[in-house]
Amino acid sequence: MRVSLFVTCLVDQLWPSVGTTAVEVLRRAGCEVEFDQRQTCCGQPAFNTGYRNEARALARRFIEIFEESKADAIVSPSGSCTAMVHHFRELFAEDETWRTRAESVAERTHEFASFLINVLGVDDLGASFSGRVTWHDACHGLRDLNLHSEPRRLIRKVRGVEFVELPNADSCCGFGGTFSVKYPEISVAILDNKIESIEKAGVRAVVSGDASCLMQIGGRLSRQSSPVRAMHLAELLASRE
Amino acid sequence: MTETEHSTEARQEILSSIREHLAASKRFDGQAVQPQTAQPRAKSNSAQGDRNETVIERFRQALEAVSGHCSIVRNIDEAARAVQQIVDQRNAQRIAISDSTLVHEILRRLKTEAVFLAAPNQSDLFDCDMGITTAQWAIAETGTLVLESERERHRLASLVPPVHVAIIEANRIRQRMAEVLELIKSSDAGLSRTVTFITGPSRTSDIELTLAIGVHGPGELHVIVIDEPAQPA
Amino acid sequence: MNHPTETADSTVYGPPNAFDQNALKALGDEQLHSALQNLVVTFGERREAAISSVEDWEGLRDEARAIKDETLAHLDRYLKEFANNAERAGARIHWARDGHEVSRIIIRLLRERNAKRVVKSKSMATEEIHLNAALEAAAIETVETDLGEWIIQLAHETPSHIVVPAIHKSKKQIADLFVEKIGIEPTDDVAKLTSAARRVLRQRFAEADAGISGVNFGVAETGTILILENEGNIRLTTSLPKIHIAVMGIEKVIPRFADLDVFLKLLPRSGTGQQLTAYQSLITGTKKRPEDEGPEELHIVLMDNGRSRMLAHPVTRQSLACIRCGACLNACPVYQQIGGHAYGSVYPGPIGAVITPQLIGISKATQLPYASSLCGACREVCPVKIDIPALLLHLRSEIVEGPVGGLSEQRGPVKKKFAEHLAFRLYVFAWSRPMLYEWGARGGRLFQRLVVTQGRIGKVSGLIARIAPPFGAWTAWRDAPPIAPRTFREQWRESSRIK
Repeated sequence: MRVSLFVTCLVDQLWPSVGTTAVEVLRRAGCEVEFDQRQTCCGQPAFNTGYRNEARALARRFIEIFEESKADAIVSPSGSCTAMVHHFRELFAEDETWRTRAESVAERTHEFASFLINVLGVDDLGASFSGRVTWHDACHGLRDLNLHSEPRRLIRKVRGVEFVELPNADSCCGFGGTFSVKYPEISVAILDNKIESIEKAGVRAVVSGDASCLMQIGGRLSRQSSPVRAMHLAELLASRE
Repeated sequence: MTETEHSTEARQEILSSIREHLAASKRFDGQAVQPQTAQPRAKSNSAQGDRNETVIERFRQALEAVSGHCSIVRNIDEAARAVQQIVDQRNAQRIAISDSTLVHEILRRLKTEAVFLAAPNQSDLFDCDMGITTAQWAIAETGTLVLESERERHRLASLVPPVHVAIIEANRIRQRMAEVLELIKSSDAGLSRTVTFITGPSRTSDIELTLAIGVHGPGELHVIVIDEPAQPA
Repeated sequence: MNHPTETADSTVYGPPNAFDQNALKALGDEQLHSALQNLVVTFGERREAAISSVEDWEGLRDEARAIKDETLAHLDRYLKEFANNAERAGARIHWARDGHEVSRIIIRLLRERNAKRVVKSKSMATEEIHLNAALEAAAIETVETDLGEWIIQLAHETPSHIVVPAIHKSKKQIADLFVEKIGIEPTDDVAKLTSAARRVLRQRFAEADAGISGVNFGVAETGTILILENEGNIRLTTSLPKIHIAVMGIEKVIPRFADLDVFLKLLPRSGTGQQLTAYQSLITGTKKRPEDEGPEELHIVLMDNGRSRMLAHPVTRQSLACIRCGACLNACPVYQQIGGHAYGSVYPGPIGAVITPQLIGISKATQLPYASSLCGACREVCPVKIDIPALLLHLRSEIVEGPVGGLSEQRGPVKKKFAEHLAFRLYVFAWSRPMLYEWGARGGRLFQRLVVTQGRIGKVSGLIARIAPPFGAWTAWRDAPPIAPRTFREQWRESSRIK
């Protein structure tokens, strides 16, 4: 199976290990991975803030680049960016041609965990990581893409992991894109609920499928000098400790 | 079709506004992603589905779950005894009653010093400590009594005094709300001007979400189910 | 059609455009915080339990939404049908384009009948139009009879929740209020407080000349209005006084009597976690015989007040499907932190964030659509599946790019955010060109040496925070990851070269 990696701007620049481990995991699962270096951003920040013209420009670019790919699937280690690709069609409400092109690219675009479980049918990547670990359901992944059981299945197969379910696993971390800097106090108040339950769970790491959530959660944990590590699912699945 | 002169212009404007804005929406209507439209439900989406228990038992459970009291009796004499017990326990002195024949039949069997008021004025009604009525229907899935204003004059006796006693014949209890909605709509006497659904005593959670029973409506609801057809009401 | 004017009626909080300051105020309120925690936990549990007793909750939601969609697509027809049938049964129908017209109609009705004392049951529609203030200005004494509404009336406040208006108040605050306003002995017993309210309000019921209520559903097929409650004050308000006036938003109409079954299964469960509220009153016209019980007159005031405008786009039209259950408030992580008053509007929370700008004009509420992390919890719990995140995004794009199609709306100018717009244009320009994108990262790596320590970016200095406010806002509370020494694509290229 040939996969074209949609690495996302956040991962590319701030968290490249998510990209490299995602590639590693996909290869371990039997995929050939290609990376089109022309890619930059899906335009989600613009779309979410109301700048649809700007978002449309980046969406067109994304569609043009990825529709050229002969890969069987486009895979992304980000639920929110994958969801954005699925929302491209809304940017072309009045343009049937572009809308159709958006829809066919979206059809081939999968979130990382969903791709492993639902397309490849693989849940064991031979990973090992010892310690208590919990999962944070990123909102777009959970509610837009219906991801819930997939990441949990994958985590449970990691040798040495003791999986702990958070009572508020599916509560928002408070990131919300520009919301996190437009209303930082509210964002952090929401975040602290999540942090509190993570601390209470006594885990070594909190895992999620979205780098944006990990930036929010990890940033607060780090500021509080917490030993808890914020990890991406790809990093966990590539782990060999 | 009559309209008040004052709001003719407003009516025209509002209806036009609706039509204009709906028309303006047409070009976008095909594009928005709509949630799935449901097929009309073949069967009513009943709470907890059908169970083996009887409709009466289901009604009792649902009523008691909302702090109502339910007695199931076999005939009008037993019903009268149940009412007697409540009247005595509460030491009711002034009791408002509806114009139902069944209620009057039961009263004839009561031995009490209490005064019964058949059509009290507002001031007297507010002094009553109990109200007795029947109910035209009941809904088992929710433990609800249904009172139709065309069939019985009672509305205030079931509302103002702090205790409400309601008598109902078992064959008037239906499983589902949907059934009863149909029955009241197509009633012989026509859809009553006021139909009241009563599910347990009055309550509020407005103070710190703490449940308090008995606010403006009765704080106690006693339902007596006669499980055998009584005299026509 | 005139816009209703929105006034900052809470003395502590400002209007919707002061949301950011309001939110800060709310975040500092410890007592509010604990009240909201109580709300979230209690209503969350009750709702879960209530839903578990329904076989096909999703099917029910779909059905309700389908009924609403059908109604809204033909709203004029269903309203006419409702009005005709209600009038045939003896009700008088009045049409009002906006809140001022509603108040004028009601005051005229009351004055004509020399009605000076009014009892009111809870109605968000009347809160929306500040009816009580108008009645008071007309020297008509109005008392709220719903316990929560009466509490806030005594306290001269506005509701902070659609269903439990006094949720922000502690038991002690309420007890103190009662001691001050109605002279009871101090107590912390909820039952005692409730019976004090009962005692005082019964007197008002007995003396009232007129009763004013809202409407939960208006059935077109029969002209019936349905109003639901737990306390019994609605039954009293609509039975005792000689005149009953019901204020009904035009979106409250539903086609058939049988449709009530669907909504009665959804609304109580979503709103208070009950299978059914204690009372439903189904009122069709006026009494047939003078000697019957009940009011002599029923007046139904159909109110537009900005609702018909929302029909102009499918995304905004779903705003009108709302059945005012309040479930979205309880589920919203933002509402959970700041409560209702911070929104500066009668309708708070997720639904408030989308209908307030539409009702009062988007220029008067430009912050509200941004007061959300777009998590979608609201959409998940909405009994009629309103896609609130889509609505928020739609409003955000209207704020930035102007109205989408439809008719020209009198909204007032929305202040453009030039710096922000420039920033986004720059981002698209640079990131449409891979070279610029990469050079941006390299440049960033250079500049960040000023702020990176031990592999993290901690709290930045005041100067840097002023130059790049988002950066300052982030790092005030959270560390930020630096741009990686080697980005993913740089590593990819290296490893490809090695191969």
